Amino acid sequence: MSDTSQAVFRHIPIRDLSADQLLALSQQMKLSLSKVDMLAVQAMYQEENREPTDVELEVIAQTWSEHCKHRIFNAKIKHTLNGEEEVVDSLFKTYVKAVTEKIWKDKPDFILGAFVDNAGFVRLDETRAVCLKVETHNHPSAIEPYAGANTGLGGVIRDILGAGKGAKPIGSLDVFCFGPPDVKESDLKAKDVIHPLGIMRGVVRGVRDYGNRMGIPTVNGAIQFDDTYIYNPLVFCGTAGVIPISDIAKEVKPGHWLIAAGGRTGRDGLKGATFSSASLTTDSHEEDQTAVQIGNPIEEKKVADFILAARDKGLIQFVTDCGAGGFSSAAGEMLSEVGGEVWLENAPLKEPGLESWQVFISESQERMVMAVEEEAIPELERLAAMFETELCRLARADGSKRLKVWHYGSLVCDLHVEKLHEAPRREMLARWRSPAVKEPKVALKPSSWTETLKTILGDFAIVSREPIIREYDHEVQGNTVLKPLAGASGDAPQDGAVIRVAGSPHLMAMGCALLPELGKTDPHAMGRAVVDECVRQLVAVGADPDRLAILDNFCVGNPDNEQELGALVECTKGMAISALAYGAPFVSGKDSFYNYFVTDEGPVSIPVTLLVSGIGIVEDAAHVVGASLRHVGSKICVFGPTKRGLRGSVLGKYVSGCGLEAPPEFDEAEALERYRKYHGLVKQGAILSTHDVSEGGLGVALAEMAFSGKAGIRADLDRVPAEAGCTAAEVLFGETPARLVIEVASEHMEAARQAGLVVIGESTREKWLHLTYAGNTLIDASVAELKAIWKSGLTPYY
Amino acid sequence: MPHALLIKFPGTNCDAETARALEAAGFTAEVLPVALLDESALDRTQLVVFSGGFSYGDYVMSGRIAQLITKNKLGDRLRKFVDDGGYALGICNGFQILAQMDLLPKASLIHNASGRFMCRWVPLKKNGSKVSPFLSALPEQFELPVAHAEGRVVTMAGDAAGYVKSGLAPLLYGADVNGSTEGIAGLQDETGRVFGLMPHPERFLFKADHYDPDWSGAEQGWGYYFFKGAFEAMTA
Repeated sequence: MSDTSQAVFRHIPIRDLSADQLLALSQQMKLSLSKVDMLAVQAMYQEENREPTDVELEVIAQTWSEHCKHRIFNAKIKHTLNGEEEVVDSLFKTYVKAVTEKIWKDKPDFILGAFVDNAGFVRLDETRAVCLKVETHNHPSAIEPYAGANTGLGGVIRDILGAGKGAKPIGSLDVFCFGPPDVKESDLKAKDVIHPLGIMRGVVRGVRDYGNRMGIPTVNGAIQFDDTYIYNPLVFCGTAGVIPISDIAKEVKPGHWLIAAGGRTGRDGLKGATFSSASLTTDSHEEDQTAVQIGNPIEEKKVADFILAARDKGLIQFVTDCGAGGFSSAAGEMLSEVGGEVWLENAPLKEPGLESWQVFISESQERMVMAVEEEAIPELERLAAMFETELCRLARADGSKRLKVWHYGSLVCDLHVEKLHEAPRREMLARWRSPAVKEPKVALKPSSWTETLKTILGDFAIVSREPIIREYDHEVQGNTVLKPLAGASGDAPQDGAVIRVAGSPHLMAMGCALLPELGKTDPHAMGRAVVDECVRQLVAVGADPDRLAILDNFCVGNPDNEQELGALVECTKGMAISALAYGAPFVSGKDSFYNYFVTDEGPVSIPVTLLVSGIGIVEDAAHVVGASLRHVGSKICVFGPTKRGLRGSVLGKYVSGCGLEAPPEFDEAEALERYRKYHGLVKQGAILSTHDVSEGGLGVALAEMAFSGKAGIRADLDRVPAEAGCTAAEVLFGETPARLVIEVASEHMEAARQAGLVVIGESTREKWLHLTYAGNTLIDASVAELKAIWKSGLTPYY
Repeated sequence: MPHALLIKFPGTNCDAETARALEAAGFTAEVLPVALLDESALDRTQLVVFSGGFSYGDYVMSGRIAQLITKNKLGDRLRKFVDDGGYALGICNGFQILAQMDLLPKASLIHNASGRFMCRWVPLKKNGSKVSPFLSALPEQFELPVAHAEGRVVTMAGDAAGYVKSGLAPLLYGADVNGSTEGIAGLQDETGRVFGLMPHPERFLFKADHYDPDWSGAEQGWGYYFFKGAFEAMTA
């Protein structure tokens, strides 16, 4: 065993290396730094006239990693759209930050923080704010699904605990993209790849076991199944929190102690930040196991209780979590303005014999770092004993502007904090040209629309997620007012969730949307549609359309492929247009690149995938609206026009022909007006239930509303407000954004008509779905039969 | 006003909403981290509550470590507390802890027949003439949510049927939920002052907590009446 009471580090000569040798060194040490980056590092040390230590190189690699620095989103991109060249000077500044800053000017009292902290904040009421953060944990989940997803959720919960001076987590959402569960083992084109079923089961259980043990309800989510995700599953974990507004601002000052709390430090999770900034290979399944952390939710529950108690006593000046990059990232961030000294030997270890760099960058879970005044320490120690968590004096801020790391008396790292954060800016190339329409996978005979509806209700995109939802405790904390499952038997779908916030007159809505199928051919349209769908869900469940905040989480394949980067550029453009039009600010976000895998038959990339998640303020519990039909004899209304086009729709996967040439258009300004009018009706108590029209179109939306088990629907689709020339397919299964199906009691119909709702039918005692169009009966089926198909779609696999 | 003491283990996570429900029913409630627990804590309370959650992670038999630590800290003091007229309640993980304390009829809580964690609402019915104070304000049939992986009651052969007959099992599922023997959802001792159940009454405090917005079974959620019944019995 190596000596456990001295620093273990070495100097690495780089000043005299050639560019190629530098790159080779980066690869050998798995730094994920490019040749340009390594040259910049070399210049830094030539200037300082010394050689770096291994600790310093690891710190720089972690700090400059794509995961931590988002260098692609800040890159200068030369983009060619259909032959026309343009320069995008930072995707983040142009299409994310600028949007939020414009909206911020209009809503200064609502937006209370964006982009700077671990989560963005918006006002809930006079004294409280709510916040949301979503992270991805794709690479770890691909090679170790249970642990990867487990720590993915654990990590984002810590982001909330580390938001402001500590926010209380009150609800989680989880979104997954998997390969189809019925893919044949023989169709996997690389060895050691885990079958989508194994990924799905592991990921769901990982999320379940962290969320349930933490006592945070998992109330919202989505799952996409597609061949493109077989080798690169995506795992998005999000958590929302609540915090007193007075506890949002935080600052580290010279003299503060940096106290680490929670779990011990070990060899698990080494180089996660740099690992996730490279592509996966077959070797990843063997070599990168130490990059995946090991979760212990009870350790996190203890530190969470401790942090919230310490915050309430006013003992915390600043807090953040140890995520990617571990102490290096947490202490580095906290000391990035003022500088300070770190003593690695003070950190309690899981096992002896860790080298200096391992202690500093280990991503062992369940650790938080606080900045506190010296006199607060005795009280913190008392609280730590009460909640059975461990504390250590990790560092002290000193105003020196240098990050000095000591290990048993040796100075193992000494970096200027400003230089450390000056990563070279990337210059990249992107291009985009809309590809041709694809041929259908399966040719459906359109002789029976009822059969088509059954096929679509049984598609993996649509089928009930109930078997998975049931494994998540979505009721813990006792505040889940609008639950993920509803209806007379508690098994019908819901558009979003609404959570009561203890002590507040207002509630918080949560929603999320992603449409990767549309993004394959039209990422710009996808960007717009995804923002709309999230906004629409929040509005549908009762949130005020003028008090919403959203998050953008991107997953991209190979950013060095111009076409893939071009798709990302187009997607961010579309997303920015809709967010600005809706006045829905981005308050946080994240990106994940290199989601591609080199199989025996070449690289497989994911399509550019944008998850937009959001929170909204629901003013009163009486405004909460579910997606399940409630009464017999109500009017069934459609709000929002149906347009031509089937591109990107679920139906589009099965048929070719009329309407496939483009995705349906919509107008955000008109949509926002409708959402405001809808919200007016909600406040009057005129709305019984509302379902957003999304994947599967109107046919699926109507069927799903009837899955409440309380009534059937009889409707005449000729009355659906639709653009001239729409086909039956477009009316029934088209996925024009910005539409709602609404159940209104007869006595409120006058107000509903004035607002612009169009009656297309009514709810019937007979539990039957009967839809006519142009004199023909299109859909004629019992609700029970349709529901059985929808409800059982995942049960053979989960 | 009766005082309720909620013992919080590392991993207990339903303490806040259980305290809220107790306060709504008239109790004063105190959440006590187990690190601060000693025998004297029982002197200031009339009701000891083991709330839901995953004490110590439940990685070994659920509730086992919490039970051992409680036994170590309190010894026979909890038994004496009950014998002297005190009340004890275990909900979900709390029931799993309480079931190992020799305060309830002998039974074990094992993995659900499905082998899965489940979060859903379940129909429940009261059983027997020996009405628990916790159930006294509730109708014969009602609903509550459950959320557990290990909620299936098993006993030595024949015991479960005996509990149903004698009234030691005062709460039964109205449908097969987790494979529980005789459909047992809750158990009480001979005095009725010790009660353990898998469903979560604290999660149905308000009418709006029901999954169906048209639910009109009562003025408040059924969980309110659960705690109110206990309050009435203890203040009668």
